[in-house]
Amino acid sequence: MTEAAVTRRIGAFVHWREWDGEIVAYNDRTGDTHHFADLAAWLFRLLTRAPASDEAIAAAAAEEIELPPAIDRDAVIARALDLFARLDLLADDERKDAA
Amino acid sequence: MISLALRFGPFAARLETPFGVVVDGLHRLYPDESFIDADEFCDFHVALAPGKFAHRWIRPQARFLIDGTSPFKPLPADQALPMFEWGLNYAIAAQAHQYLVVHAAAIERNGRVAILPGAPGAGKSTLTAALVQRGGWRLLSDELALIRPGDRHVVPLARPINLKNNSIALMRAYAPDAVFSAETHDTAKGTVALMRAPAESIARSHESAPIGWIIFPRWEKDAEARLAPWSRAAGLMEIAHNSMNYSLHGAAGFKLLGDIFAASGCYRFTYGKLDDAMTVFAALA
Repeated sequence: MTEAAVTRRIGAFVHWREWDGEIVAYNDRTGDTHHFADLAAWLFRLLTRAPASDEAIAAAAAEEIELPPAIDRDAVIARALDLFARLDLLADDERKDAA
Repeated sequence: MISLALRFGPFAARLETPFGVVVDGLHRLYPDESFIDADEFCDFHVALAPGKFAHRWIRPQARFLIDGTSPFKPLPADQALPMFEWGLNYAIAAQAHQYLVVHAAAIERNGRVAILPGAPGAGKSTLTAALVQRGGWRLLSDELALIRPGDRHVVPLARPINLKNNSIALMRAYAPDAVFSAETHDTAKGTVALMRAPAESIARSHESAPIGWIIFPRWEKDAEARLAPWSRAAGLMEIAHNSMNYSLHGAAGFKLLGDIFAASGCYRFTYGKLDDAMTVFAALA
């Protein structure tokens, strides 16, 4: 067994809708409804498709997201992930044992 | 003590009160057919009672009670009529959880409903009053839109429209044939007057209709009338915040709003003159 790799995905208990690139999400655990736009909406959508590691998220962002040079893409993604975690939107089983 | 029962939309309320002026006001604001036998089933049992102790006589007060308990502080007795209407709003919001209850006006034309949420001062009631008096729209509600989860229809709740301050004189001039209550001054909302719902709207209180538009109105002095598409996601968040019982409906409430926004146009509407607003809404439906 090697060190665990962290993957993240949006929990199945989160219901969501998307219009014009913006997301509204209902968390059935907390009863809260949230609105995400821009990079947070992109990241939310990514994490609904499949679990993703930080490395996979960074690679997808580098390929798909264009940001002004002054903006630190990794820092923005880290803040969005932290927000998702604080809002309890991530599935519990995000930590998978690597082979 | 006077006892009467009143039907409005899908509800009925029994009222007991010694305030004859309230009963007179209700007969002015509701048609005869809204008054039902006092022994019919009623959803809400309310009373407008006199103030306690010295407040029966000195600076007399009125207390609103529902099921024998008083959810509000007493108000001056001359505010008893609007207090009854505000109390009914409270009763519906607190108990009618078979509906998603949204703080918004609702009007219908050609089979589709426009939901008009609005913060206080946004001009929601004034716009609604004008549209139902002169714009060919049917009043479903001025304050509380009742959305039925099963078919996503808005259920009519055609009650008097609550007008405030400058809107009262404006609507008296704009709709001279409309029926108004006496003005009540120095309320928490300023001067208020109630405008009777159009007869056709009350007669069609059994006709629900699906939502076609969610429109967030805002009155701005001298502004041109402008209807601009708005983010459905932001609109859904606003409606959720403006709902009295969205959280009680849980995931089903979110799905309901999601389905409504997926099938409806979402707009912001700015206006400065009622005539211009009439033109924009006439083109809508």
